[in-house]
Order: sequence, then C-alpha cells, then structure tokens
Amino acid sequence: MVTRRELLKLSGMTVASVALGARAQQIAPADYTIDIADYALELAPRRTIKTIAYNRQVPGPLLRFREGQPVTIDVTNHTGNSEVVHWHGLFLPSQVDGAMEEGTPPIPAGGQARYIFTPRPAGFRWYHTHVFAGNDLLRGQYTGEHGFLLVEPRDNPGHYDQEIFLALHDWDAALLASADGSMDPAYNVSTINGRVLGFGEPLRVKAGEQVLFQILNSSPTEVHWIALSGHLFNVIALDGNKVPQPQLVPMLRLAPAERISALVEMNHPGAWVMGEVRKHIMAAGMGIAVEYAGSTGKPRWEQPEELSWDYLRFAAAVQALAPAPSQATDTVTIPLVFASKFAGHGAMDHWTINGKSYPETAGPPLTAGQRYRLQFINRSTNDHPVHLHRHSFELRRLPGQPETHGILKDTVLVDANTQLDVEFTANDPGPTLFHCHQQNHMDAGFMMLFHYA
Amino acid sequence: MRDLKWWIWIFAVLSSALPACAQGNYEIQVYGAATVEPKSTMVELHSNYTPDGQRYVIDGVYPTNHQEHETLEITQGLTSWSEVGFYVFTSEQNGHGVQWVGDHIRPRVRVPDSWHWPVGVSLSTEIGYQRAVYSPDTWTWEIRPIIDKYLGRWYMAVNPALERTWHGPDVAQGLGFSPAAKVGYDFSKKISGGIEYYADYGRLGDFYSLHNQVQQIFVVTDLNVSPKWEINIGVGVGPTAATDHWIIKGILGRHFNWKKESPVD
Repeated sequence: MVTRRELLKLSGMTVASVALGARAQQIAPADYTIDIADYALELAPRRTIKTIAYNRQVPGPLLRFREGQPVTIDVTNHTGNSEVVHWHGLFLPSQVDGAMEEGTPPIPAGGQARYIFTPRPAGFRWYHTHVFAGNDLLRGQYTGEHGFLLVEPRDNPGHYDQEIFLALHDWDAALLASADGSMDPAYNVSTINGRVLGFGEPLRVKAGEQVLFQILNSSPTEVHWIALSGHLFNVIALDGNKVPQPQLVPMLRLAPAERISALVEMNHPGAWVMGEVRKHIMAAGMGIAVEYAGSTGKPRWEQPEELSWDYLRFAAAVQALAPAPSQATDTVTIPLVFASKFAGHGAMDHWTINGKSYPETAGPPLTAGQRYRLQFINRSTNDHPVHLHRHSFELRRLPGQPETHGILKDTVLVDANTQLDVEFTANDPGPTLFHCHQQNHMDAGFMMLFHYA
Repeated sequence: MRDLKWWIWIFAVLSSALPACAQGNYEIQVYGAATVEPKSTMVELHSNYTPDGQRYVIDGVYPTNHQEHETLEITQGLTSWSEVGFYVFTSEQNGHGVQWVGDHIRPRVRVPDSWHWPVGVSLSTEIGYQRAVYSPDTWTWEIRPIIDKYLGRWYMAVNPALERTWHGPDVAQGLGFSPAAKVGYDFSKKISGGIEYYADYGRLGDFYSLHNQVQQIFVVTDLNVSPKWEINIGVGVGPTAATDHWIIKGILGRHFNWKKESPVD
C-alpha cells in the first residue's frame, strides 16, 4: 500500500500520472475530475453550437486550490483526438504544465491522465486546452475548453461581498480576408460565460456591495474591451498578480489569456449592461445584465466613445521605485523579433521569432537564478498577446515610456510595430514555452522553447 | 435523389469551367464574390485599348480597331451582403472623337460570411443601354453567378454569365452563354499574376461555331499595394475571327469609406 504522501514523494511531488503505472492512478481518489467531451452549447435562443467542453459546461468548473496544497486532478478525454490541459499561470514542472512541446504527455483519444501538482503562486489563473488547431476552427481554443482556476493564498483572500467569474469568448469562427491581406478568423457570436446578452440569468447584486470581478479573456484570437455602465472598476490584480497601485478605470482591456481582478462598488442601483465597448462585438452578443436587488426594467448601456487602457497606470509610483532588479544584477538581454511570413491571400500568415518558425525557433539556454530581459520587438502589423509558461515576468518598458516595474504578468499584449520589454528570473528549471496566445499565430510558428542549461 | 444532386453538381462545375462570354470591351473583369462594404464606395476606371481589332464598319457598328474605351464604374455598398454598381461607357477613336457609349446598372447580392460556405458566391444582374453604333443590341440584360475561392496563394473565380438582348438583332436569340474565369497566384503580398478568360459562346443549346465565338485570354497582374487601391493590368489575345486580336486593359480602383471612423464601432 502506497500512501498519497509516498506517492507524491515518489513522483517528485508533481507529475502527470500518464508517466506512472495504472496502480498508482488507483491509489487515491482525485480531488477533481474533468471530462473532456463534445457538447452542444446553447449560446442564445435557437442558437446552439457543437463544441468541446469540460464537464459539459462552458466555462468549465471553477477550480479552487489552496496555495502549496497538492492537488490531484483526473482528466478523461472522451473526444476522438488527443488533448492536454494547460494550467495557465502556475509555476509547474514541465511534465505537468500542460504543453506537449515542454514534455507533458498528451491524453490520447479515449484516454485518461492524472495531474498531480502543488499549485502556486496564489491568484487568478485558468486552465485550457493546449492543442494544435490549424485550419480546424472547431479545435483548440476555438472550443469551450477553458475554465477558471483560483489559487487562494494561505491568508485571507480579500475583502469583498461577492466574487463573480466571467469569461469572454468568441464562437463560430470562419476564415475571412483581413485588412492586412491575409486570412484571419472572424466570429459570428461573442459571449460572456457562454451566453449572449439577454440570454441567461443576470448578475444579481445589492446596493453597497463590493463585488470582485474575476474576468478572463479566453478568446482564441480577439482582444476585448469591457465596461460596466454606471460603474468604475478598481483594478487590483493583473493576470492574478496584485498591482502596485490599484486604480479606478472606466473600462478594461483584456488580450487573449489575460485576466483582470477588479473590485466594483455597487453604488448606482438599477439594471445595467456589462459588455464589450465596441458596438459590433456587443451586437454579436458580448454582454451580460447586472441587476440590483429590487430593480426592474431593461438594462441600460451607456456607450463609451473612446477606448482607454494603459498598463502603466497600475505600476509602482516613480518615487517609490526600488532599485530595479536589472540594475542590481547582471541582467542578460534576449531580443525576440516577431515577424510575419506571407503565405497567400487565401491563407493565414506564418510567424517567426528571430527569423525562424517553431519548431526551428530556439532561445538561448537559461541559467537558473539568472535575471533575463526579454525585448519583444514586434515588426508585424498585428498585436500579439505573448505568454511565457511556468514563470511570471515583470513589465519593464512599454512603447514610448520610461522604465517601469512592479507589474507581474504571464501574458502581455505587444502592439503592432512596437517594442515592449519584460524581465523574469529563471527560477523554474525545465523546458519553458513562449508563444503568442492567438491560436492561429501559435499554430503557424509563433512559439519558442527555452531550455535551462 | 442523391444521384440527381450529383448530376446537378457535376453540371454546375462543368458549366463553370466551359469557355464563352459576350463581353463588351468596356469593362473587362472577372468578378470576385466579395461586395463593397456598406457606407463605402468603389470608384474604378476601366481603360481598354484595341491595337488590333475589327477594321470595318459592319451593320452600322463602328470598328473596334484602335478604339480606346474608358469606363467609369461606381459601386456603392448597401449592406454587408449587397451592392449596386453604375457604369458610364465611353469610346475614343480617330474620326469619331470621344463618344458616350451607354450606361449600365448592376445590383448584386452575395452569400453572407455567416453562412460559412466553402466558396464565395454572389449573383449580379446587369441591365443597360449601349448606342447602336457601338452595339447593335442596345438594351441588354445579364445575370451573372460568381463563384470564387482562395486556396493559399491560389485564387480561382468563375462567372458563368447568361445574357439576354431586350432590343436589337439578337432579341430572338434567347439566352446567350458568356462565361469568364480567372486563375491567379500570389507571388508576394503585393503582386499577383494570373490568366483571365472571357468568351461568348452564343445561344444556349445552339452555340456559334468556334470561328464565330468570342474567345479571349488575358495575362494579367494585380497589384495589391493598399486596401484602398485596386490595380489590374493585362494583355489579351483573341484567336477567333469574332474576337479582337489584341487588347490591352487596365483597371484602377479607389475605395472610399464614408463611415465616420470611431474606435468603438
């Protein structure tokens, strides 16, 4: 008889059980189970689409972990294709991080896997599929395979009366010619938590409440702008990491894979719309009603006239700047140049990092403990939400801005034809994937694997 | 029933691949399925010159040899799936000066993107008048299915058009079959090259002899310098007696957007 403690010790605390024997899988019941299966999602009245979902719901079940407390998750793949689940934003060994490029074993069609790991760091994370989709716009992130993951800190998680998780997603994609001369996915339906505006239950709040909105953009390719009419967002965390300076803002911008944690003081009773600021996406369904107790009537939407967002608003104050890590240590700079390769007006562009497409891309070997500065040099006409697995990075320089620090993220949007610098400490040995989080970009070469020396 | 569907499909494909189309040499273009967006306008100038064409006045119709045709085409987008186009045809020739030739109007609808069809499909109908000295059939009507497809660097389009004369010598002819087709290849993001084919086979079910059919093949290039501009240049040959032997054509188009640009639209 092997105890769970012994099993964890045996497996180096964190392994995907596909590497273990069948007996080991049966030793202890899982803390969570996830079934990946085909699912008919009712987006709107008389509008159902066939997709793939976790546990027959979109988004998948909310997973709440305690930081530092090992968890076991059994995943069964009922689909006809291999799958893998990526635990986005967690510092996990490569074998269990959920990217086959790093060495996490795929879950074969009809197969099962057990993920065992110790979740950290605390904060708002998420989990999602990490498979190749290519031209199949019914696979990968184009599906409903995403869910919220909250790693709660050991201490009090915060002061709020209600916590609401919202996922922004786009559906029913088709390849259409875009302004840059190539094909890009375009969507017919956009939703919050898998429903279009007016379909499904409203968010119910009470006057005087503090509501913590945990918002995820799980869209395969699209950036989204969210406002709640009549209210302001107090942004307290980006990608699950507390920001140095919480700020009140009228709207949020979330690139694919980004998360924002924002407190809203419910001080304006009535029925309101929370939704996409851009009219055509709101018209495609991205919105949800917010109803105060006792309020009735049609939810109101006050259309903003401008888009506004600036990561730097949440950065550490200039006068409070401590010596930046790059000044305190010998930071190694790694320039990463993003560019597109034309593949025809009838195809999606191919993508390169430093002139090469994955799997030919290669980053320099990382030395454990070393601080690195990644220069994201975007020489394309597309914005790119780039994501580094298994680590957090710190925003250091935004286009046209002085040095900054204090904002920790795992995904950041690099605007077209700009440069953005981040820094991270190589403190989690193992193959580490870096990629654009737009499904069509990562599928077309925009990925690179860092290896530790 | 299933066999019938197959036969219809095979017939449609074969029909699309067949040559023939009565194209007046005023607007020499194989249509793609896309339509102009609403609240925007495409203005195109079609310039066609015939270095080697018909040299004689036949049935009162001016010869095409050394004729310069300038056609102004203005297309207004109506909805995300419809547009309407207007044409003004002119001709310049030694001895005749600059002449107004006629006008056409062309409404068009297309299959919306949301239908997710594997090919682009639209349907246009064109009605118009041309002076008898330029076309003995003065009032004509055309219906033009348009099917196109991008495949990587390749582009294919077929326009199996049907024409009907409402006034003129061919009024009793019935429907004429006038297909056009194009195959293009993207050499780069900005430069594409290809072949365009235009024909007029004559009456459906009773085609002209090959000798009397219009048959034209153009070598063309499309320059995609900007989403605002459309540039197409080509040189065509007509190997049959009923066809002008050499034609040079050019299309210069400019897209105007009348929408008040707003970041929140």
